[in-house]
Amino acid sequence: MRTLLTIAWRSGWNRRATLALVAFSIGLSTFLLLGFERVRADIRESFSQSVSGTDLIVGARTGGVQLMLYSIFHLGGATNNIRMDSVRAIEQNRNVAWVVPLSLGDSHHGFPVLATTPEFFTRFQYGYRQRLALASGRLFHGSLDGLYDTVIGAEVADALGYRLGQHITLSHGAGGPGGIEHADKPFTVVGILQRTGTPVDRTVHISLEAMEAIHLDWAGGAPMPGVSIPAAMARKFDLAPKQVTAALVGLKSRAAVFGVQRFVADYPQEALMAVLPGVALDQLWDVVGVGEKALLALSALVAVVSFAGLIAVILAGLNERRRELAVLRAVGAGPRQVLLLLLVEGTLVAALGVVFGAVLVAVSTFGLGPWIQSHYGIVLDASAPSAAEWQLVAEIVAAGVIASLIPAWRAYRLSLVDGLSPKV
Amino acid sequence: MNPLVIRFVLPAVGVVVALIVLTPMHVRPDFTTDKSITQLAPAVATAASGAYRLTLWRELAPPAWKSTPPFRSEDVSKLDDADPRAQALLARMRSAWDAAPANAALNGAAIRTAGYVVPIEESREGLREFLLVPYYGACIHIPPPPANQIIDVSISRPVKGLDAMDTVWVEGVLKVARTTHDSGASTYAMRADDIEPYNGPSH
Repeated sequence: MRTLLTIAWRSGWNRRATLALVAFSIGLSTFLLLGFERVRADIRESFSQSVSGTDLIVGARTGGVQLMLYSIFHLGGATNNIRMDSVRAIEQNRNVAWVVPLSLGDSHHGFPVLATTPEFFTRFQYGYRQRLALASGRLFHGSLDGLYDTVIGAEVADALGYRLGQHITLSHGAGGPGGIEHADKPFTVVGILQRTGTPVDRTVHISLEAMEAIHLDWAGGAPMPGVSIPAAMARKFDLAPKQVTAALVGLKSRAAVFGVQRFVADYPQEALMAVLPGVALDQLWDVVGVGEKALLALSALVAVVSFAGLIAVILAGLNERRRELAVLRAVGAGPRQVLLLLLVEGTLVAALGVVFGAVLVAVSTFGLGPWIQSHYGIVLDASAPSAAEWQLVAEIVAAGVIASLIPAWRAYRLSLVDGLSPKV
Repeated sequence: MNPLVIRFVLPAVGVVVALIVLTPMHVRPDFTTDKSITQLAPAVATAASGAYRLTLWRELAPPAWKSTPPFRSEDVSKLDDADPRAQALLARMRSAWDAAPANAALNGAAIRTAGYVVPIEESREGLREFLLVPYYGACIHIPPPPANQIIDVSISRPVKGLDAMDTVWVEGVLKVARTTHDSGASTYAMRADDIEPYNGPSH
């Protein structure tokens, strides 16, 4: 076996240019398959780690996936707000332990602004029941004195270089060029949260009252002409929120979740809906799964093409190697050894390609990971390959073995027919 | 084209495409009917369940409890869905179901049963907690099951790859937990010792 390996390696080294090209193409398809699997798994993990300990998310009637996406991940927009009375009515339900209202819509340099109650910081959990923690500073109290206090996520602080005491202005809506700023009411950074690897990192948190205050002199999504309420004056107005975007609900007993969900859906005064975060996420994966399957099929086809290349190159080489194989037969190699030799050669090329692809995946997750995390909030895991990835690697190598069977079989037949009398 | 490509590669591509297109259709068992659980050869049942007693969903309700309480006498079939009287009946049934008592005799019982997964708590290592319910779409399309037909299952070893509405066998010790509020309702909780996929009653 060892001699066989040596012969295969030396013979292959003679044709290294073409074989290296094939190994390179197998490497690229490995990179595609492995990279796709890693990104897919990490996106799912990032999403499923983003909320914990919340039993229901309540919002205006829309799709369950959509409600989940904008209330937790701040992706997409709300179809409608819900009235604060409805939120209070849900709070009164005997199965409900706590309710945290969320109000979205403004932004700061592209980072979403979330208005909520101070209770958010104690109730909201991520990962497996992990609580939010401060890296520095303090939380906002939701009192009038600290009306313009803000607590920012780790990514906001890092990306914009903010420290405690920094004054910032929020933009109305998504912001950007031509956007309108809430420049008359600047906020002060009083706290910076620890990194969580969830959308919280990319969020600017303010109190619900502050959200009301910065929109006091606004109507229909634009500042009212001629009306301007100074920041300090705003405290004299009624700042109790009238409506919010969504609410997180925690229950006393989880088995009551369906009853409360039904209570919310049947709430007579307003069209509301409640979703279980876990169920909504699984619905999302059902939708995304179709696209994932298509992408996986494409990547698999690319791999098939690479292996077709492998077969073609080795097959084409067989004609040139009649002498080489004949010499091997002359020194006593049986047709079986010839078959094995070709099999080893193909497998070696495939294995080299897989190693190259895996290294490429590792290097790019390591190199691009931080950039992807800051732009998309997805944590790419640069750790050891998962079980699914090992399985993919095994499948690719197995495909290489099967592919090299074809030229190996042909060499076996040839060496039987004309092994010792090549027509030159 | 190389004949080998035609002979091997193209059929392989065909098989891959066919496999993707022909993903198997699922049949959704209804675990409220006993057959999905009990259609087991007795020998298999004992071998598979060991110390855990095979338990039907209707056993979770106390023997005296009626799932459709007072309105048997009224002629429900004549009522339209949108009829306010039907709505009122539904609301009555709903509150009766939400307060459905648990079977106290099952407190501490080691049971084995099958049902649908409604995921609750996901961790990095996998699913940690879910609700087990007896029929598909519970909570989405049809009225949610009564309180005594829901088991709050926590898993000591997190399980990967379980999605909403997957069917599983669950083994563990049941606990009847009294909820604190006035309705007097009690609910089932379970610490699962083992969870395996449900592959039909002949498991």
